[in-house]
Amino acid sequence: MLRKELLDLARNRAALVPVVIATVVSLLIPFFVLIVLPSMTGRSLAADPALELASRSGGSDVPAEIRVPAFLFQQFLILFMLTPITGSMSLAAHAVVGEKQNRTLEPLLATPLTTIELLVAKILGALLPTLAISSAGLLLYVLGIMLWEPQTAIAAMLTGRTLVLTLLLGPAAALVSLQAAIVISSRVNDPRTAQQFGVLIVVPLTFVFVGQLVGALWLPVWILVLIGLAMLVAWILLTLFTVALFDRETILTRWR
Amino acid sequence: MISTAGLTREFGERVAVRDVTLTIARGEIVALLGPNGAGKTTTMRMLAGLIAPTSGTVTIDGTVLTRATGTALRARIGFLTESPGLWDRLTVRENLDIYARLYGLRDRAGAIDRALDRFQLADRASTRTAELSKGMRQKVAIARALLHGPDVLLLDEPTSGLDPEISRAVRQILDERRASGCAILVSTHNLDEAERLADRVAVLQSRLIACDRPANLRKRLTTGRVIVRVNGDANPLLPLARALDPSASLEGGAIAVQLADSERQTPELVAAFVAAGARIVEVRAETPALEDVYLRLVRTEAVIQQ
Repeated sequence: MLRKELLDLARNRAALVPVVIATVVSLLIPFFVLIVLPSMTGRSLAADPALELASRSGGSDVPAEIRVPAFLFQQFLILFMLTPITGSMSLAAHAVVGEKQNRTLEPLLATPLTTIELLVAKILGALLPTLAISSAGLLLYVLGIMLWEPQTAIAAMLTGRTLVLTLLLGPAAALVSLQAAIVISSRVNDPRTAQQFGVLIVVPLTFVFVGQLVGALWLPVWILVLIGLAMLVAWILLTLFTVALFDRETILTRWR
Repeated sequence: MISTAGLTREFGERVAVRDVTLTIARGEIVALLGPNGAGKTTTMRMLAGLIAPTSGTVTIDGTVLTRATGTALRARIGFLTESPGLWDRLTVRENLDIYARLYGLRDRAGAIDRALDRFQLADRASTRTAELSKGMRQKVAIARALLHGPDVLLLDEPTSGLDPEISRAVRQILDERRASGCAILVSTHNLDEAERLADRVAVLQSRLIACDRPANLRKRLTTGRVIVRVNGDANPLLPLARALDPSASLEGGAIAVQLADSERQTPELVAAFVAAGARIVEVRAETPALEDVYLRLVRTEAVIQQ
């Protein structure tokens, strides 16, 4: 079933345009802030006392000229966490209700395919392509920083925090968000409803982003690891919940 | 092979299917007839394990279809839904390949190639199903239902919207499947097709009104009318016919006679005509069309249910 999802997406590449756009924007914004803005204002970001203070919460003992940009590049990593969520939300929202609307769900349910196999294929079908795109974007991001200032790149990106954000927290947040969208997709007959609910997880992540950016909130790495693991557990529970809620009969007999 | 016992399905207060007991044996085709809203699709969905009955059971080769046994039993069922349900952006081959994987076929490529050849789809294998005509899409859907060599076939309106050539091809394929021992249930509005294809016809209107061979169903409405066609002028034979039926008349050059006991009186009638020098061309007992039987059954049931 995952093969079908990936094939379908390969034939409908336009569905990935939002992901590409979000990735490109995530890539460009920090460089704009760190390179273009200072050249326009004539002031180094390291000279900003608020930013300099906020960057100390990262605990790094490198000079401010490196620490401030490194801090900012780190913070903008959260945008790369949001990219797979926002970009693939439409795919997840159409997961079940789209099959029903296209009248492909009934013959599918008549096969030996189990509910959990169907739902896992749907979520991976939405997540994997967008994760691949945002990962490519992240690679370009790191290369871009290295080209601009190698020492900043090392200070910003080659940290445990980066690993946790990109390899654990980001994918875990995406899984929870997409699974929520799929739960809703299996309970409503309009994909827009599923889309609205699934995007809700963006709210706490945005809160964290802004909080850390202004120095009001700094989550140490071990807290981020705990949050990531909790999200994975939440995803597993949400998946089991989705399976229990998946009502084949209602979907087949009441949805039109 | 596949049987139901007291199968009932309610949706709230509405009883869609009531107490249906039906068996379809291996190597048999049963046509399921009924007006719109009679419960045909609901019945087929219960047989396919898509929805659970409110009461009653579905049994396949002695195994009751339940949530626990559903996955394994669905592997033995081929189900054609009312609409083809193909993935538009995938090609014919890709659609079949996904289902071959879902059914766990080992020789996927071989099975798909054989299906494509059998349904004359080989030259369209790489065509996206969105680009196919309605008839071609239906062929692909039927191929998909047969791909894993199921023991039970449930087909909801298989020839709906198909041209006569493709309809005939589908009937031939169903004949082959029957010969190979498949138990087949076909839901259809096409009474002519039902009569030509099915070993038995089941008429459903929430409950099973009748289930019998088409010939037996027609006998339910036998009128006892006999039509005799002779070579030459039939007028001189009318008095002989009126000895058995005062209302006997000429219809299109033939003599129509209403007999109280056609089994006993038809030979008498023919013998009288021959003794009078008539040269008999045809003797035909007038039997109603299956459509007449169906309409009579359905209308009677509608009155009963009111």
